[in-house]
Amino acid sequence: MTIAIVKFPGTNSEKDVFRALSVIPGARPYIASSRDGVGTLSEADALVIPSGVSIDEYVSVGAEKWIDGLKNEIQEFAESNKPILGIGNGVQILTRFRLLPGQLRKNVKGRFVCKWVYLRVCKDPTIFTDGLEGLVIRVPVAHSHGRFHFKKKELERIVDSGGVLFRYCNQDGEMIPEANPNGSMDNIAGVKNEAGNVLGIVPHPERATKVELTSADGLILLESFVRSITAR
Amino acid sequence: MTDSEKGQLSLALGREPTETELGVVAILWSERRSYKSSRRWFSEFKTDGENVVLGLGKGAGIVDLGDGILLGVAMESNNHPTQANPYIGSALAIAGVISDVIAHGCKPVALLNSLRFGDPSIKDHAFALKEAVRGISEFANSVGIPMVGGDAEFNDSFGENCVLNAVCIGITEADSMVMSRASTPGHHLVLFGAKTGKERLIDDTESSESSNTSVPGNPLAKRIVIDTLEQLIDGKLLRGLEDVGGGGLALAGAKLAARGNTGVEIHSDKVPICEEDMSALEIVTSDSQDRMLAVVAPENLERVLAILDGYNTPHSVIGQVTDEGFYNLYHYGELKVSLPAVLLTSGFLEPDRFEECLPERTASMDWLVEPLDHVQMLLSMLSSVNIADRTWIYSQFDQHIQANTIVDIGDNSGVIELPKGKRIALTTSCNSSWSHLHPQIGAANSATLAMRNLVASGAKPIFIADCLNIGNPERPESYAEFVEAVKGIGRFSHDFNIPVLTGGVSPYNEKTIDGKSRRIHLTPQVMMAGVLPGNRLPARRSLCTPWANLFLVGETHRELNGSVFQQVQLGRVQGLPPGYQAGMEKSAMEAVLASHAKGIVRSCNDIGRGGLAIGLMKMALRGDFGFRLDLSDIPGSAIGMTEILYSETSARYLVEVTETNQEEFLRTMESCKVVATELGLTLNEPIANFGSFSVDLKEARKAYMSGIAELLDK
Repeated sequence: MTIAIVKFPGTNSEKDVFRALSVIPGARPYIASSRDGVGTLSEADALVIPSGVSIDEYVSVGAEKWIDGLKNEIQEFAESNKPILGIGNGVQILTRFRLLPGQLRKNVKGRFVCKWVYLRVCKDPTIFTDGLEGLVIRVPVAHSHGRFHFKKKELERIVDSGGVLFRYCNQDGEMIPEANPNGSMDNIAGVKNEAGNVLGIVPHPERATKVELTSADGLILLESFVRSITAR
Repeated sequence: MTDSEKGQLSLALGREPTETELGVVAILWSERRSYKSSRRWFSEFKTDGENVVLGLGKGAGIVDLGDGILLGVAMESNNHPTQANPYIGSALAIAGVISDVIAHGCKPVALLNSLRFGDPSIKDHAFALKEAVRGISEFANSVGIPMVGGDAEFNDSFGENCVLNAVCIGITEADSMVMSRASTPGHHLVLFGAKTGKERLIDDTESSESSNTSVPGNPLAKRIVIDTLEQLIDGKLLRGLEDVGGGGLALAGAKLAARGNTGVEIHSDKVPICEEDMSALEIVTSDSQDRMLAVVAPENLERVLAILDGYNTPHSVIGQVTDEGFYNLYHYGELKVSLPAVLLTSGFLEPDRFEECLPERTASMDWLVEPLDHVQMLLSMLSSVNIADRTWIYSQFDQHIQANTIVDIGDNSGVIELPKGKRIALTTSCNSSWSHLHPQIGAANSATLAMRNLVASGAKPIFIADCLNIGNPERPESYAEFVEAVKGIGRFSHDFNIPVLTGGVSPYNEKTIDGKSRRIHLTPQVMMAGVLPGNRLPARRSLCTPWANLFLVGETHRELNGSVFQQVQLGRVQGLPPGYQAGMEKSAMEAVLASHAKGIVRSCNDIGRGGLAIGLMKMALRGDFGFRLDLSDIPGSAIGMTEILYSETSARYLVEVTETNQEEFLRTMESCKVVATELGLTLNEPIANFGSFSVDLKEARKAYMSGIAELLDK
């Protein structure tokens, strides 16, 4: 499976994602630069939008044109029902394109947060979490704009339709407010779109890929993403 | 410039300098750029070593880690700009130090920072700290380099003059290293990166109230410079490189020429500028960040320009390397500056500087009052600003980007994994209370603190980088402090055979307030790196097994002067700080490293600020286990509970060892002639039992976690 990792000028995690995917059998990742323009994604079976600077920072230096330049192509990719994974601020790009519900707002404490967190994987079966239902996994977060916000009706809809894939929890899997690092509504850390082919996860699975880094749980998530490509 | 410096310049030139020339020389001969007061003392440092590729005085330092991997390091201060505008100054510190490392072709892999601010219970000081943290956070996180180490210290002397030192670590391979020199006449000088504006960093000698026009570096621009450089270096297209930051094109061009024994010709009108009406002098002395000056051979020029075009990064061929030995600056064809490059970089007079006798200090501990309630005392210590948990600060730094971080900030030392499975430990340390009381001992023991951080992780120290933050070197007392600090670090480097690879001096950290001069407590900041032998995993400081034995390595003496305990009890520091004991320190280091090598260390912490009690509490608070101890028989001259608990004697470690490995551990200690004392056992229960009193870990954690956070959340 060919997986395009999309790099915009302010993207800073593309190599981390590349390294993580490279060790997964069957995955053939490549870095697709937005500078190469439209067409760079055409050969891919799946997309990853890695983390980078926040949209605010792009806007402040007038660089959002690079992101919007690939908007149509990424939207078409989503419409063709191929899998897309957004990580960290990559989720912000997908919500900007309206490929994922909600918004990512500034953390409730108003400052960047970097820490290890636990996530509870949803119990409902989804293509991205097949075989991981109900698991508690450990991955790091690192963001200033990681707080999921939804309109009331929207929240009800995605919760009811099984659109929430990951929630912040404590070590024992309890989804309590203290386990929430950024004030996200309902402890939400990851969501999918209605069609089920676009996934956004705010924490960083690509930074938890081996026990030496104190957790290999992120690799399990990425492996599951790679399996979802074949499953289609 | 002084009159004698102007005289020196005219004499050397055999003519009167032009206005532009004077402007350029004034910058290059300033204390900050020339080290004219300080460099005469650098011979005190051990600088050589078998793995040293690029040593002191040559830009960033570089060591060979073996298997073709080179590690680069740069350390810088940005104190005055940070005092004037903490958000911008701190971001610029990070921007600058990254530039130093990438200018040698290194990929940046880690950052560290050291913060010294006024008491955060005072609102203005807390605000300055918060702004500095935000500046570092936004810049470093966006560029995408993990912050893996740092330290913070607070006292009143930093209220008017904060200290911000930053370290960047990078890696490269032997054949990709780029030197900061222009060796071949006829090569082109290509400037790329951000456009040049009228920014000028605040000069060290200016007071921070003066106008400040510097703007924050742009992380996106830095990211693009890093990506561009990576491609240029992978293609082996550069023959020399120098970052253009503080000191501007004047300094960068002069360095390239002087180091390459060549000259340069620079056309300031070719420089991409972002403001109208800039004079030649303004262009070449602009401190705008995120610019690089590359030396490119004619045959590579087309490819280099194509790559720069591809990144849409501003760039221009601004001149060339000549064989005349001169720094020639043209503005629209008019020759504005024609000075020998060597004259610019080293033609200055070293001014006379005088040292005053420093105050005598006494070892007396007459001031000590045994606390009535040891539980309350311990809680006060845990919540005091120089002990309390720093998560509020460090959680704002991305510690895991690049996915190589093995140990986060807050443990013994930060540990990252490099290519080929190499693991290195990184730490920064400085005790400015000790250094204030006794500069030489304080500086040497700031280095032993850093070394113990590494050794506790299981890493063998390989190099030192330092930054000496001092007062006004024109004042004999400040100058004496500086000289003693150099001697202290110099002594340490020779005693332990660890080279000083790179460093800096930040002078003039003082201010006159109401007619009285207020200078910082001397801050000889030490950064140290170590390798984990055999690519072992590092030990952490958190207790990790119940019913394991806790050992104290080393002797405990009556050394509460300059300690945190003294600060908490008296509200100030006084007396002679803990001694520097090279012999004991070395034996303890060898013994602990030997235990790591045998794999018998479950967890380990070194003893520093707050002494034995705080060392133990940090081990318990980071883990899930308590302990029960008997402190009735502690070797050394310490008398009474307070001295045993809080004395800051050097050369000590705490080690957790399981029952089965106890004998082996004691044998290892004995063979290194080191005293190891069994203190007691780790417990499943969350309690810290010191024998004569015990503290509930929940209560202790609350004190420890809230000490700084509560002040900063106000």
